[in-house]
Amino acid sequence: MELKLYVDRLSQPSRAILIFCKANGIEFEEVKILIGKMQHRSPEFAEINPMKQLPAIVHGDFKLFESHAILIYLASAFSGVADHWYPTDIYKRAKVHSVLDWHHSNLRRGSVGYLFNTRIALAFGLPLDPKAAAEGEKLLSASLATIESYWLEKDEPFLLGNSQPSIADLALVCEIMQLEVADEEDRDRILGPHKRIMKWIDDTKNATAPYFDEIHSMLPLAKEKLKELKVQASKQ
Amino acid sequence: MELKLYVDRMSQPSRAILIFCKANGIEFEEVKILLAKRQHHSPEFAEVNPMKQVPAIVHGDFKLFESHAILIYLASAFPGVADHWYPADVRKRAKIHSVLDWHHSNLRRGAVGYIFNDSIAIALGLPLNPKAAAEGEKLLSASLAMIESYWLEGHGPFLLGNSEPSIADLSLVCEIMQLEVADENDRDRILGPHKRILKWIEDTKNATSPYFEEIHSIMSPVKEKLKELKVQASQQSA
Repeated sequence: MELKLYVDRLSQPSRAILIFCKANGIEFEEVKILIGKMQHRSPEFAEINPMKQLPAIVHGDFKLFESHAILIYLASAFSGVADHWYPTDIYKRAKVHSVLDWHHSNLRRGSVGYLFNTRIALAFGLPLDPKAAAEGEKLLSASLATIESYWLEKDEPFLLGNSQPSIADLALVCEIMQLEVADEEDRDRILGPHKRIMKWIDDTKNATAPYFDEIHSMLPLAKEKLKELKVQASKQ
Repeated sequence: MELKLYVDRMSQPSRAILIFCKANGIEFEEVKILLAKRQHHSPEFAEVNPMKQVPAIVHGDFKLFESHAILIYLASAFPGVADHWYPADVRKRAKIHSVLDWHHSNLRRGAVGYIFNDSIAIALGLPLNPKAAAEGEKLLSASLAMIESYWLEGHGPFLLGNSEPSIADLSLVCEIMQLEVADENDRDRILGPHKRILKWIEDTKNATSPYFEEIHSIMSPVKEKLKELKVQASQQSA
């Protein structure tokens, strides 16, 4: 049964799904839907996902969107996936669900709020919003602090005190990697104080090498492009 | 093994969990954590949930928060729960995950944005914010339209075309029921156009009767209280 991933590597949850599949030897066809070229708004893509968002998958005749649902589905539908990605134990599984749920309204909301309003809006021809960016940064910083103080435990490398990564590590780390498109000073200001987070990112990268770096390799180019757009916008 | 639910019936996700347990004959102790009395900020509750939010559960020595995670855990941990609440089939289950995920940033965000900034903030001693309420209402209305045009599509009365309710129906319907604390005119403006949604709320209520009405019986008195507080607040600023 054929698996198609409709993704844009600029989309954090798209990257999580790509890395997950590659790290687990799941074969797929990557169908690039480029947000910067508004391809997510095409009528063809609306057939795949009427929400017009990435990522989305088609597995045989089964369509699915929302990255957490997709990660859980892939971990469950493909027999070769090791248990630590999405444990069968209902207690461990419940904890994975709770951090994925928390993510929506905390890390994701803060990170998107900050990056969209300092950078990414420009790629859509929209104005930047410093006030919304400041609100986003506040939530982002609070979320990073909560990850360090609660979701990551001292003695184990991954979320929830796990010794091996779960889908939650991929989802949240890919979100934080989006800061690579921001100015170095801003990134260092926001991420620099959080040494435990930086270690966790490294551990997640090593656990999914070489795919993590491969999938993230387009971020420096995206950053340069967004910098250019910002310079152009300020000239106008 | 003892199950304790740390809930406030004013909290939409708290209600979803209470109704789920009652409708499935799951025994529990309801530990009321009253948000209006700031009980969620107590050091004792922080031991249960360091995020200081309701709902949270303790089952034996297992602690859990985030209502979707809780609903899934309860459906999985208690053997008497019928399959339709959280199907074992991987694809049906995936669809339930997708609507629960969509909920966070759409219906929930819109409904909370509107109702908190239009009404509930006052109960917590915070000012109302008409601009944020308007933004919330926009997202709320778009979400209601999406539920009607997409999530309720199919043969059955429930989300995802299902003939029986899932945890997703409980979660989303309890969110929409929060509009009961708003002014009738506002509620009618926002909800009135959506006949399919009104029918779905009715079907969900009937499927979990009499617990749905019992758990929601708090809404009327709360609405009256918020009306009073609003009147007082406008008298102070006049």
